[in-house]
Amino acid sequence: MRGLVVAALLVLFSLPAGAQQAGSGLTRLVDAPPAPDFSLLDMDGTVFRLSDHRGRVLIVNFWATWCPPCREEMPSMQRAWEQLREEGMLMIGINVGEDEDTIFQFTADYPVDFPLLMDSDSAVTGRWPVRGLPTTYVVDPAGRLVYQAIGSREWDDPALLELVRALR
Amino acid sequence: MMPVLRVPGRVKPIPALLCAIPLLLGSSAATVERGVDAETGLRSWEWREAGVVLRLVQRLPDQTRAFFQARGFSGAASDRIADACIFQTIFRNESARPLGYSLDDWRVLHRGERTTLMTRERWDAGWQEGEASQAAQIALRWSLLPTRQHFEPGDYNWGMTGYGLPPGSAFDLELVLRLGEQPMMRTIDGIVCAPDREAN
Repeated sequence: MRGLVVAALLVLFSLPAGAQQAGSGLTRLVDAPPAPDFSLLDMDGTVFRLSDHRGRVLIVNFWATWCPPCREEMPSMQRAWEQLREEGMLMIGINVGEDEDTIFQFTADYPVDFPLLMDSDSAVTGRWPVRGLPTTYVVDPAGRLVYQAIGSREWDDPALLELVRALR
Repeated sequence: MMPVLRVPGRVKPIPALLCAIPLLLGSSAATVERGVDAETGLRSWEWREAGVVLRLVQRLPDQTRAFFQARGFSGAASDRIADACIFQTIFRNESARPLGYSLDDWRVLHRGERTTLMTRERWDAGWQEGEASQAAQIALRWSLLPTRQHFEPGDYNWGMTGYGLPPGSAFDLELVLRLGEQPMMRTIDGIVCAPDREAN
């Protein structure tokens, strides 16, 4: 019995805490609805219009600085971005409801260099099928939502990136 | 009528390790792990069944008050949220089937009364003019667990849930879910709202 308890202890402490575990996989959206177009400012004050990027594969992530799983997935998003940008794909993060100063402070702790856009009144987020944060969509070159992930992911997981690359 | 499973409650907090052993042995039955964080003293309840995991972690009223004051709520408005029995909530679908829920279907059982959760829509409808700026309301809306959600396998959300009870109240939570085509109704017994700091 003591051996069983010791074994259980070892297994338990080697498991990631359930609450901190990233989700898994991407959900294929069978009807592939068109991605709602938007124009938002990035951190440099430049307008980003979604439809200007038709013809590319995009990963669109909705997030906020106070959201623990959003923070958790940022490093893996940056690592994925470092691979995907070389291959002509694009990743963007849409911050929901926060101001530029808050986001700027956040990037000191979580340095990313993909575009971070500001949806200050959450109007754009409201037009996408987003219910909770983080939620991420993969948009195909025809501008359709083809994959969805609710909750954080390990975005540089090769199996996950393979699905994204296959859309090119 | 849907089958109702009463998940056995445990009155005293049990170390998370001991509660987790049935899971490690591969039990597929419903379990509720009750735990206490060694550093913060905050209590948690984690219900698991058939790959569905709902974890509720107490939030101290002071924690919640500070969070919302920092996001533009007035002191009075922050107090209203902080004193509404707020839990940090993690809801995961680790099953192989889609999972759906609506918080409007869940019930809070307290002293013989059955009430509903404080959802985004209930908060939105409750603010008086000048009490909460648009930015503050956006922060509250998105920090709450979605009122309705559809999780595919591997999906999850974090968010706060509010039960509309005074600090320190004990209640049972009646959950209504749909896992694949199967409706589920379950009750988690003996959840306790975090006390006010003064009550510690």
